[in-house]
Formats: sequence, C-alpha cells, structure tokens
Amino acid sequence: MMSEENMTQLFEKLNDLKKVFSYGEKLIPVIHSLGEFMKETVPLLENINQSIAESTAKIPKATNQIQSVTSATEMATTEILDLVDVLNNDLINIEKTMLDVLVKEKDKEDFLKSLIPMLNKENAELFIDDFLSKNSSAEKLGELLLQVGKMKNDSNNIAVSLQVQDITAQQLATVNHLIESVQEKLSALIEDFDNTKILDNHEINLPDNASFDPNARYSKSSVPQQEVDSIFNQKSQKASQAEIDKLFS
Amino acid sequence: MALKFLIVDDSQTMRRIVVNSLKNLGYEDFVEASDGKDALLKLSADETINFVITDWNMPVLSGLELIKAIRSDAKMGNTPVLMVTTRGVKDDIIEALKAKVNNYVVKPFTPAILREKIDQILAAAGGGN
Repeated sequence: MMSEENMTQLFEKLNDLKKVFSYGEKLIPVIHSLGEFMKETVPLLENINQSIAESTAKIPKATNQIQSVTSATEMATTEILDLVDVLNNDLINIEKTMLDVLVKEKDKEDFLKSLIPMLNKENAELFIDDFLSKNSSAEKLGELLLQVGKMKNDSNNIAVSLQVQDITAQQLATVNHLIESVQEKLSALIEDFDNTKILDNHEINLPDNASFDPNARYSKSSVPQQEVDSIFNQKSQKASQAEIDKLFS
Repeated sequence: MALKFLIVDDSQTMRRIVVNSLKNLGYEDFVEASDGKDALLKLSADETINFVITDWNMPVLSGLELIKAIRSDAKMGNTPVLMVTTRGVKDDIIEALKAKVNNYVVKPFTPAILREKIDQILAAAGGGN
C-alpha cells in the first residue's frame, strides 16, 4: 500500500514529467527548424569548400607566375646592363679618340704659332690667329667632350637605377612567401573538411633557401643612409656598445 | 696598397652594379661570390682579397653570418667589410655593428656613397683602428 506521502511524491514526479513533455513540444518546432537550416547550410558549406579548394589549387599558378616575373625582370636587367656596358665602352673609346684629336689640334695650333717668327711678314701673327679662330676645332671638341662625359654619367646612373630589380625581386619573394603560407593554411582546412589533399597535384616551385628582406623598399631618399651614418658616427665617437644598445632600445 | 674586392650578393644584377660602380671609382680587381659560404671559400683560397662588400639577405650563409665568420678567423679577422643591404632598420644596423661590420650602406646606393664609405673604412684602417 502506498502512503499518502508516497502518492504526493509520485504526483510531483508526474507533474515534472508533464512539464518536460510540454517543454519538448515547444522544442520540437525549433529542432525541426534547425534541421531545415542544416539541410540548407550543408550544400552551402560544400560550395564554400569547393570554392576554397579551387582557389587553393590556383595559388601555385599565381606564385609560379610571380616567380617567372622575377626571372624575366632579372634577364631583362642583365640585357640592359650589357647594353649599358657596350654604351659605356663606346663612350670611353669616343672620349679617348676625341682627346687624341684635341691634342693634335693643340699641336697644330702650337706649330702654326711657331711659324710666326719665321714668316717675318707684317701681320703674320694676326693672320695666323685669325686662321686659328676660324678653323680650330679645339673649342668644339671641348664642348663635345663635356657632352660625352654627361652621357657616361647618365649611362652609369641607368645602371645604378637597375638596383630596383633586386629590391622588387625581394618584394615579390615576400608576396610569394605570404601566398605560400595562405595556401598551406587553406590546404590544411580542406584536409580537415573532407580528407582531400590539395598540395599533391599543385606544387609551388619556389627556389630553395630563398632569402629576402620583407621590408625592402626602393626609395631615393637619403634619410635611411643618414640614420645609418648617425649610428656609425656615434660608434666612431667611442660610444660603448651598451650605450648604443641603450640609445636604440 | 691596391685593393682586391670580394663582392658577395645572391643577385647577379647587384654584383654587376657594385662592380661597375667600383670600376667607375677607379678600382680594377674583383672576385665575386653568390652567398656567404661561397665567399668564405674564396677568402680562404685567395689571400690577396683585402676588402669585402657583402649583402645581408642571402641563401646558405647570410651576410651577417659571413661577417661573424670572418671576425672569428685568425687569418682574415681584420679584413674590412662593408655591408650593402636593403635592411635599414635600427635593430639591423645595431646587429651588424655588434658583428663588427666596418660600415653600412642602404640600397639603393649611389657610387658617391660607396666611395665615401670605402674611403672612411680605409682612413680608419690607416689610423690604426
């Protein structure tokens, strides 16, 4: 026989159970909506996965193209440097020939002037000076030599400006390094998602042991060199290493 | 004393630009190396090399490691070294100073800067530093 107390407890438990069922009834539509949401989301996630996989597969092509740009610019720079060398050598030869001609012009002038006492004629000096001023090429040669000097200077400046190739190559190597990191992360994501490997068929062909400065910049500003000089000047003023470290820490 | 330069850079373009600049400054004797390890081999094989111009970022052995290796070697420890690099941040310069580089040029450089730094190094060496 159940006591009254036991019966009360039983009813309390049944009431609790009723509350659970009534809560469950409210939960069922939510679970149903969640199921519908999942049905719609799964294809979406598969699409995202597919897009990531396709994008990841394209990355090696992008990095290899960047690498080929570096190689092409290096080749082009070498060709330009070759041409600048040829130009410089031609200019040096022209300069040398012109200097020889200038010396001969001076010799000719000296020779003609040495004739003045021998001619022993009135106005001989005036005549020869007039002849020289009208026929001497020395002045023109001097002007041309200045032009050749300027051209040599310009061609050297072209060669110096080609440092841009090394600096941009380092910038491109930095971009490639970043792309490579992104590809690794995305490949790992794909692998986690559906156990497929992206890297197997799409290798990135970057040079081994590539070394670059991620902060490389092409700037003609003198400020970076001035900063270096300032540090070295302090060193030459016998500042101790600890003082240098303290100053720039 | 005639200078024989060792130009160390992994970029062939940069090596040519440095050599051309030095030629325009009147120097004639050069050896080239494509990384720090190659440079050490060439330094060991040729005792007449008496000036090193090196880049920092290179594969195999960097310019900084090259300087440390040179300074720790009894025979070539006093060889003047000029660093020519894109790295211009203070921490890098201080690190190079700690490695006992003689002077430092930031790329892109001009031949005038190159001449100035070579002259400074030679003057300091002549002064017994």
